[in-house]
Formats: sequence, C-alpha cells, structure tokens
Amino acid sequence: MELMKLEIITPNGMIFDGEVKQVNLPGSEGEFGVLAGHATLVSLLDTGVIVIDKEDGNELAVAINSGYVKVEEEKTTCIVDGAVALSGDDGELSKALEDAKELLKSTEASNSAIASAVSKVEQIGKSF
Amino acid sequence: MANLKEIKRKIGSVKNTQKTTNAMKLVSSAKLKRTEELAKRSRVYASKLTELLNEIAAKMQQANAEGIDNVYFKDIENPKKVDIIFITADKGLCGGFNSQTIKRATKLIEEFKAKDVKVRLRAVGRKGIDFFKFNGIELNDEIIGLSAAPDFKKASEFISEVADSYVHGDTDKIILIHNGYVNMITQEVREDQLLPVDTSMLELNSVSTSELEVEPDDDDTLLDALVKRYVEYTMYYSLIDSLAAEHSARMQAMDAATTNAKEMVKELTVKYNKARQESITTELIEIISGMESMK
Repeated sequence: MELMKLEIITPNGMIFDGEVKQVNLPGSEGEFGVLAGHATLVSLLDTGVIVIDKEDGNELAVAINSGYVKVEEEKTTCIVDGAVALSGDDGELSKALEDAKELLKSTEASNSAIASAVSKVEQIGKSF
Repeated sequence: MANLKEIKRKIGSVKNTQKTTNAMKLVSSAKLKRTEELAKRSRVYASKLTELLNEIAAKMQQANAEGIDNVYFKDIENPKKVDIIFITADKGLCGGFNSQTIKRATKLIEEFKAKDVKVRLRAVGRKGIDFFKFNGIELNDEIIGLSAAPDFKKASEFISEVADSYVHGDTDKIILIHNGYVNMITQEVREDQLLPVDTSMLELNSVSTSELEVEPDDDDTLLDALVKRYVEYTMYYSLIDSLAAEHSARMQAMDAATTNAKEMVKELTVKYNKARQESITTELIEIISGMESMK
C-alpha cells in the first residue's frame, strides 16, 4: 500500500511526524479520510479525534481541539491548537486519556461534537 | 587605621554583589535555554501557519484580479488611526533591553503624530507601562505578567480585542514592537505590521494553487479563521521571542556586572595592601624615632 507523510503540529511542537497509510480527520464539514494521492485540499478541523493508520499496521488516535489541515498528494499537514496523542503504556495512556478528555471539554465546540469526541476517546481507551 | 577597615568592608560588599549578579546570570542562562527550546518548537508551527495563509491568500488573489477582497487585507495608504502594541519585560536589570523598545516606540509615536495620525498605545510588561505612565502618556490597554510567562490563551485574549477593534474600523493599522532574540549576545528590536496582513511579506505568486480545494467552500470563512489564528500566534511568538531576548540581555548584563565586580575587588585589594603597608611603615617609624629620642 502506498504511504504518505503526515505531520501534526501544535504550538508546543510536533506531535506526529512519519509515514502513514491512511488518516481520518474531523473536518468542519464532516469527517473524512485521506489516502496517498489525495487531491490538494485545505480544510478547517473541528474538535474531534484524528485516527492514524500507521505504517506498521497499528492505529494511533490523537485528540485535537481545532485547527487546519492541508492535504497534498504526498503529504498531509495538520496545524492544530492543542493535541493529545493516545499512546504509551498503561500508566501513560490513562493519563493521556484524561488529558484528551479535558482538552476536548475545554473547547467552544457544540456539546454534541464534544460528546461524540469524548465517547470516541473512551472507546479507544477500552480497546487497549 | 579607619581607612583600612573601611576598605575591608567595601571589599566584602562588592564580593557580595558579585555573588548575587553571578547567581542571576546562572538563573538567566538556565531560563534562556528553556525559552529557546520553546521558541524553537513554536517556530515550526508559525512557519507552517504562514505557509498555509500564504497559499490561501495566493489562491484568492489569483481568483480576483483586483486583489484580495477581505477586511484583513485592506491596505489603507494613509491610516488615520494606528494601534501600537509594544512588549517590554516586567523586570529590569537587563541592560538596555527595555529602553531600546521604549525608544523605538516613542520614535514611532512621534512619526505618526507628525503625520497627524491618532495613536493608541497598548503596553505589555511593567517596565514599558511605568515609563509611559511616568511621562504622562495615556495607555489604552496594559497587561502585566504576560511577558514573563507567555501564555497562548492570555495572549490571544489580549490581541483579539485589538483585532476586533480593527474589524470594526476603530483602527486602521496594528503595529507590534518587541525586542527579539538573535543569539546569545545580540538582541534586535523588531517592528511587525500585524494587521492588515502585510501582503508584501507573502510570496503570493510563487505558488501555483489553481487546484486547491477548500472546505468549508467559502474562502472567506477559512481565511478569516486563519488570519485570526495568525495574528494570535504572531503575538504569542513575539512574547516568547521577547522573553528569550530578555534572558539573554540579562545574562549579558549580569556577566558584565560580575566582571566589573571582580575588577573592583582586585583594585580594592591593592588599595588595602598599600594602606596596610603604609600603616606598618608609620608604626615602625614611630617606634624607631621613639627609641632614638630615648638615647
């Protein structure tokens, strides 16, 4: 499967930088998935969860509050205000989950958007 | 003898000062390292954001031959009302760091006044606020504590108010002045035009974006959001930049102070020894002449 480069950048640094198979993004007009070779696109991102299908087949979820994404054929760049990657071993993960929930709740998005994002985060937490 | 004691006391006090300045230098260098790291990380974000803004603006310009029809890009040739934001430190003891920024701000105000432009001042940092208050110049807005600990949320709250007044037409131009970090020994006063977005800074024609799709479909919504973020972030980044410069300036000032103190101790020690020898000689002469007279 063809790979593409993905970067997730926050004011506090780079959260993710690597080759991925696919990424699902919470666009302001609805969720959408991006594969390599996607047409150039710029979109606003809403409060939600970015799900990354990594090169090694594992999934990584990143909770974000809001931002932008620029999709190019071989590269996708997410510029977000705040992001928490849901990864690490047990102790780190539960802390990450808490951080993610807090981040999501602190945004100005509509309640339903926050609720769906939070439930998604919880689901991911259970699946580990 | 009194002179001897006096010099000894002086040496002690200078040595104490030296210890303080040396400690302050160490503290500043540690803080500088941390701030530099913060600046480095946020620089990536800033550059990507500008890049994105650049592309959207280029797309809009290509679509519209008369330039970009957006409130944030309206460049007025003769602004009537200008907002100046300037960042200084909350604390002193950092050489000419604060006075440089203040000087530049004062110069700019005079320039605008000469052109009959109404100027509103917005100050960040205690030193700048104190200076203008002391000179009886009115400040439109002031905030303390932000320059010592840059916080994105607070910075964006502060700048949003200014940006809003721009959108409502209360001001034609927003200028940001801060003393930025170049390297460990150099700082440079930077003057940025925050709004309207300086199109000369954007390389509008360098990118081909004819096939760029935009979501939401309305360019303005995206551009507005992007410009807002850009303004907020520029403000935040300037704060970090200023903080790094402050620490480096303080480090330098304290380093100079420590060296000067060292020099002073040296001089005073020589003086002390001379005085000591002198007093011994005088005593000897007294004893000898006393013995001489006894003969």
